[in-house]
Amino acid sequence: MATATVSTLCATFGTHCAISHNPKPLFSQPFNLNRFHSNSYKLTFSPRSPLSPLSPLPKAADSALVQTQPGSLDPQPAQLVPVQPPSWEPGLFAVIMIGSRQYIVHPGRWIVVQRLKGANVNDKIALHKVLLVGTDTSCYIGKPIVTNAVVYATVEEQGLDPKVIVFKYKKKKHYRRNIGHRQPHTRLRINSIMGYENYPKVTMDDIKSDDSES
Amino acid sequence: MTRIKRGYIARKRRTKIRLFTSSFRGAHSRLTRTITQQKIKALVSAHRDRDRKKRNFRGLWISRINAVIRGNQKVLDIYSNLIYNLYKGQFLLNRKIVAQIAILKENCLFMIANDIIKTKNPRRYSGKI
Repeated sequence: MATATVSTLCATFGTHCAISHNPKPLFSQPFNLNRFHSNSYKLTFSPRSPLSPLSPLPKAADSALVQTQPGSLDPQPAQLVPVQPPSWEPGLFAVIMIGSRQYIVHPGRWIVVQRLKGANVNDKIALHKVLLVGTDTSCYIGKPIVTNAVVYATVEEQGLDPKVIVFKYKKKKHYRRNIGHRQPHTRLRINSIMGYENYPKVTMDDIKSDDSES
Repeated sequence: MTRIKRGYIARKRRTKIRLFTSSFRGAHSRLTRTITQQKIKALVSAHRDRDRKKRNFRGLWISRINAVIRGNQKVLDIYSNLIYNLYKGQFLLNRKIVAQIAILKENCLFMIANDIIKTKNPRRYSGKI
């Protein structure tokens, strides 16, 4: 289901550019941090116990979560309280940095990142290196990160990429090496983007007011 | 030594290579000796181009960012200024993300560029936008 919406989004691009708001970037660009020495913003990595449906989820000002009440389940199992999916601001996305690669991330979709050592399936992960949070109307631009913004994700799968054949060959020198390689990866399902509300926000109105002034 | 007939040992090896080359054009998927050569060339190209891919994409992103920044009426800027100010302003966004934002969420990029321009003295450049 997620992949279907994804393919419509990236239909405008050629074959290789599956890097759009697509949860499955095909490759990465290692970012060169040698230009300036910022503080080391560490990626914390807190595996928690699997989320039980009865425990209260962390609340955000914008999202409305319906908690399944413990009492409603017991007396009338036929009449379940319909759990609505949490409602985010329209067009909510964040740019996070994992393993020195940056990804555009939407709540509810999955991304594939470098293998996170020590994460087991169904671990909850909090990602603090949020560089940008945006919605349809506004933008929270991080310098360099959006303080107190967290992206919560669940580890779905720790797998291996499809095999690439590393073939080394020198002509006329009788040298060839055939090596297969499968890069380990981790698939994360993004649950929520939170904590960005108090950060200074930029909207299109600021640009318009500047234009009218100058 | 015992007598050994060659049987289909060579054929088994060559069928695997033929399968790899099955979608190539003309004689490159039909003739045995050509097939082995083409498989080698294909694998070597793949290996080399996996590194080139990274270079190609970076150039593509730079072109895209440049096009969006130069071509719009709201923010007056060029790629080199934008990158210089991104680094000065301690933004960690890399070109891939900026290019994606430029295409899919233009307003966001304009907000970023505007934010940058407001917090610095405008650099002089030679007039052409």
